[in-house]
Amino acid sequence: MSKNFFEISNVDFSVSGKTKVKDVSFSIENEGDIICLLGPSGIGKTTILRTIAGLEKIKKGTIKLNGKTLSSDKINVEPEDRNISLAFQDNSLFPHYTIEKNILLGSDRNKENKEQKLNLKEIIDLLDIFHILKKYPHEISAGEAQRASLARSLLSQPDLLLLDEPLSNVDQSFKEEIQVRLKKILNQLKITTIIVTHDSYEAFYLGLKCGIIWDQELKQFDDPYKVYHFPNSVEVVNFLNRGILIPAKVTGKNTLENSDLGIIEGNFIREYPMGSSVQLLLQPEDLEHDDKSNLKLEVVDRKFRGTNFIYTLKTPSNTLIPVFVHSHHIHQHEVDEKFGIKRPIHIEHIVCF
Amino acid sequence: MRINFWYISSFLISLFVIIPILTVFSSFFENTTNYYQVLKDTFLLEYILNSVILLLSVLILTFLIGTGSAYLVSFFEFPFSNFFKWALILSFAVPPYIYAYSLTAFFENYGTAYTILKNLFGEANYNQIIPKFDGLFGVILSISFSLYAYVYILARASFLYQSQNLIDLGKNLGFTKFKTLYSIILPAARPAIVAGLSLVAMETLAEFGAVDFFSINTLTTGIYNSWIAFDDLAFANQLSFYLLLFIFALFIVENLSRKRAKYHFNSKSGLKQKQKIQLSGAKSFAAFSFCFVVFFLSFLFPLSQMMYWTLKFPENLFDLQIIKLLTNTLYLVFLSSLVLIIFALTSNYGNRVTKNKTLNALSTLSISGYAIPGVILAVAFITFIAWFDDTVVKTYGFLSIKKVFIGSILGLVIVYFIRFYSLAFNGIKSGYEKINISVDESSYLLGYSKRKTFMNIHIPFLRNSLLFVFILISLEIIRELPITLILRPFNFETFATTAYISASEDLLEAAAVPSLFLILIATLFIIVTSKYILREK
Repeated sequence: MSKNFFEISNVDFSVSGKTKVKDVSFSIENEGDIICLLGPSGIGKTTILRTIAGLEKIKKGTIKLNGKTLSSDKINVEPEDRNISLAFQDNSLFPHYTIEKNILLGSDRNKENKEQKLNLKEIIDLLDIFHILKKYPHEISAGEAQRASLARSLLSQPDLLLLDEPLSNVDQSFKEEIQVRLKKILNQLKITTIIVTHDSYEAFYLGLKCGIIWDQELKQFDDPYKVYHFPNSVEVVNFLNRGILIPAKVTGKNTLENSDLGIIEGNFIREYPMGSSVQLLLQPEDLEHDDKSNLKLEVVDRKFRGTNFIYTLKTPSNTLIPVFVHSHHIHQHEVDEKFGIKRPIHIEHIVCF
Repeated sequence: MRINFWYISSFLISLFVIIPILTVFSSFFENTTNYYQVLKDTFLLEYILNSVILLLSVLILTFLIGTGSAYLVSFFEFPFSNFFKWALILSFAVPPYIYAYSLTAFFENYGTAYTILKNLFGEANYNQIIPKFDGLFGVILSISFSLYAYVYILARASFLYQSQNLIDLGKNLGFTKFKTLYSIILPAARPAIVAGLSLVAMETLAEFGAVDFFSINTLTTGIYNSWIAFDDLAFANQLSFYLLLFIFALFIVENLSRKRAKYHFNSKSGLKQKQKIQLSGAKSFAAFSFCFVVFFLSFLFPLSQMMYWTLKFPENLFDLQIIKLLTNTLYLVFLSSLVLIIFALTSNYGNRVTKNKTLNALSTLSISGYAIPGVILAVAFITFIAWFDDTVVKTYGFLSIKKVFIGSILGLVIVYFIRFYSLAFNGIKSGYEKINISVDESSYLLGYSKRKTFMNIHIPFLRNSLLFVFILISLEIIRELPITLILRPFNFETFATTAYISASEDLLEAAAVPSLFLILIATLFIIVTSKYILREK
């Protein structure tokens, strides 16, 4: 018998007869773990959550929680009998109740089952929603509605909490603070949580593991560090929108060569035969600026991003390469000027496809 | 698909309501008596022509009055504009047949108009100069002033939800007020106006009291006559079939002409609250005058006419058992509303949770029962019970069931149920449409069962819709005439039947008392709930 707390095996997720994501398998090992599912809009992330919650049925595979099968081609436990809470992305508060009443409805579920680990006041403080308690859903902003919906879900202390883009409507200035508070409270209450988001930084911060969904498949399911540094497919690279792929030839155990950049050193994350042609993932942080270097490339664009600039450089073979430079760096370069790259180029994790 | 309690109940309710409609459709293939040939050679064309003229005239008048007054009170401030906002729905309290009595009473030879002129200017032969509003023209006026409120209420609700941004856009494009009205405001409110006009169309084609009073031959009176005079139910049904086709054709034309235009706007994202324009001078006077004339003609005129006669002939007041009539009317209202609301609510919820296409189609079809005139429903019901009694009940040696259903409250409530089911179903449905499906899903995810979701989440949310539906049904039943007339128990009278019987015996003065009470009760119902009918939030 599987020891995983939550497990999805070979499930096709579909809505209205149309398959959105195929043959998905992943698991959550321990109760209280948080995982995140990342992917572009419309890819089927919400469908996955709705199916786990029991709002959509499956025809293939199984979904198990705590050893009990919730969904399969033959079994479908009704949503009200699952003790799974889903906080919808859009406002799903009951329009005829005040926010306070809406949130308190969350506590109805666990009245008999569980000891209340967190009281209403703590949740209200946590999500900073005291000022809207007496209001009705139509009187509050989308971000406040999201937080109220989150509060209701937290108060219900479900076996599994599903959050669909929980902070998408929350102001940027408040978002990071809420993320910190949310992570703390979920860990404190040991609520197993699956969060769906398209914000990779949110996923990397909150999730113990992250899944990347692309082109109807779960492409990679791993811890955030590995997803970022060891992407297992070009699709994952494209989704995370990091760097570019440039042609290179493997020249040694720890080296490869590109016609424009010369020799590149580092640690291959996978082995490749000597002399094989590969596509090397070059990320903006991989190259270092050095005015004294004899490897000079032409600046075609410069974007100011607060803490850094992103220079776009053109190689002799017309490849465009992004490079980060700290914004306090004294020597700035204008478009059309030459930009030096430090040699030898060293990349800690060499990712090739 | 899972067959559960909700599915079965919704299915049975819809099926029950749909039976008379199917009867009407199936009649198309049945044989009729010679009456058909007689009628075809004589009056059928007249029936159809009268119905068409009546329908088109009423539609044009109700559109102009209903939309015009809704536009004025929604977009402008002028003296008493807040009063007219709700006063204009009071016309609902006056059924077309009472309006018809008032018209006749006022304009007939030696009528109220004559008396006024005589008192003002002395004795003279005023009868020649007083216009006569009878015949088809009388019917058109009676129905239009009684029913324009359907268009008014729906158009006004739609105007209220129109965004200031749209109107600002019109200004920005340099539109005049008139151009803004016909190129932005009216097109955006089109579905609501058409919905109002559809109700008017169905009520007009089904109208019996006023048409009968002015002796105009329409398809509806044709149906009644073919049953009463020739006992030819099959032909009565065929006439109803043509009526239904006519109404469906109107719907289809409207739907096709809409094409893919979208009329609804998502008002969540910061649309500005609409600012009313303050009118002054001649414009203000014109707006006030328009609304006042409509209010006067539709409500004050029939009310004062009935009051005048009641006071002039007070003996009629004492001849009537007012308390008895009141309890009878209210008994029917509460009993029927309760039954209708419970079943329409169950059916709506069943449709919502089962999401079954067959059930949905059945429900859609079942609500077209409103288009079948009350006369034909009552007649079809009697025929069905008689047939069932003769062929099924008696064959198996049971006691006759005719008395249980015909001339009984039970039979009356059943036919009211079929007739007004669409009102209840649609009223509750529109309330349900405001509840996002994710609200149900949230409820399930909070551990609420379907029953608990229904009781704890939906019912409280639908409270206002249910009250609104109750009022609509109540007003219909208070004013309803042909079904009550045909199916009521012996010696069981309502204000409507008492008024009709007196009027049909040419005792208009005697009809005034029950008519006045009918108007007053209906007015009370409207006033009590006007804030729900006209709610602005």
